[in-house]
Amino acid sequence: MDARNPVANPLIVLREEFDDWAILFDPDTGNAFGLNPTGVFIWKLLDGKHGVEDIVKNLHDEADDVPAEAPDQVRQFVASLEQQGLVGYEVIAGSPA
Amino acid sequence: MRLMRTPKKMDVSITNRCNLRCRYCYHFESAGDVEGDLPAAEWLQFFEELNRCAVTEVMLAGGEPFIREDLKEIIGGIVKNRMRFGILSNGTLITDEMAAFLASTGRCNYVQVSIDGSMPGSHDAMRGKGSFAKALEGLMTLRRHGVPAAVRVTIHRKNVHDLEGVAKLLLEDIGLSSFGTNSAGAMGLCRKNAEIVQLTAQDRVVAMETLLRLTKKYNGRIQAMAGPLAEAKGWLEMEQARLEGRETMPNRGFLTGCGCYREHLAVRADGVIAPCTMLSHIELGRINHDNLGEIWRNHDTLNALRQRHHIPLSGFSFCEGCPYVNYCTGNCPGLSYTLTGEVNHPSPDACLRKFLAEGGRLPDRSLLC
Repeated sequence: MDARNPVANPLIVLREEFDDWAILFDPDTGNAFGLNPTGVFIWKLLDGKHGVEDIVKNLHDEADDVPAEAPDQVRQFVASLEQQGLVGYEVIAGSPA
Repeated sequence: MRLMRTPKKMDVSITNRCNLRCRYCYHFESAGDVEGDLPAAEWLQFFEELNRCAVTEVMLAGGEPFIREDLKEIIGGIVKNRMRFGILSNGTLITDEMAAFLASTGRCNYVQVSIDGSMPGSHDAMRGKGSFAKALEGLMTLRRHGVPAAVRVTIHRKNVHDLEGVAKLLLEDIGLSSFGTNSAGAMGLCRKNAEIVQLTAQDRVVAMETLLRLTKKYNGRIQAMAGPLAEAKGWLEMEQARLEGRETMPNRGFLTGCGCYREHLAVRADGVIAPCTMLSHIELGRINHDNLGEIWRNHDTLNALRQRHHIPLSGFSFCEGCPYVNYCTGNCPGLSYTLTGEVNHPSPDACLRKFLAEGGRLPDRSLLC
């Protein structure tokens, strides 16, 4: 686990539905967010062990047509998840908030 | 039609006990009326499986869920396993302490309380003396604690002339944003008491016209998935299609009346998994013994039910010569089963041709919103 790597909020339910699409369900609010298959792939790597670069590398391993803008897009995607409280970062005791 | 990998919602009868014996209760004397409640530990173990299946909502029913002394423990298991919940209740056992607890979970979608009248006479006639005051108190307790509360009005012979009063009580005096309606269906105890409970064709006419008028007056704040209001809207659509000589209507002409087993499953109080509470006689497996995901995806009976929508109504002798056959859905398979013994059959209770033959008449279209 690296405190700089994003971690999926463990309260959020990943509900895989059709054709590798899924929803993220927040049981505290009842809100649901749709994820396309790439989003699902990324979500599953948000375990604190993978940074954006690792995620992009995994995408390249998995698919042939990963666009050059992928690192930025992954960063934006993770930032939007963070904004909605779906993703956070591990807090190390004693580190600045 | 595509199927989700796991059910989204579970309807769970956590108890077979109830403090009331409403004369039209669909539960008692149905296949869901089973001996003995499971201990909380069984439900807690099952909720862990629901979490693994990414089920998002559990609907607690019974019997009367608030009769369980360990209800808080059961709800705690739902919360711990990342789900939200609803409760179907007669409202009479809801205390301040319980309402405060429900509010504290932050996960309660709603508690649905049954209120069938604007006064004790019309409510208590079918639910028992004193139940109106207690149900109303339960509803107000929920509202005081900020627990989302819904109301369902079941229409029967003793309250069909009190619907105006009910609407005023719920929407004006109490200030609910809306309420739902249905009617006493021919299931469970209602079958035994049909003569005093179930609406006649004439009662149905009164109920349909009154509800359409009230829905207009209250800007759509009265809703229905079944019963006279839903029938009035559905049957008027069918009649319009017939008058226009339309060949068919989308998704009609086949047994398309219910698709609930595409979204959820039910569990009886004894832990038996069924397609729906209305189809409790179909035993698909048992909680904590059989794999829920496996049942959901691969059970032959369940998959056969999901193919009902390919069965044309024109193939049933019951529908022979019916001018509405291409506009009809065949309605609820649970009702059909209790009335005909067949799941794959149109429900006679929801038949427009039968209603008209019994002296019923459709409301004026101008009453539609």
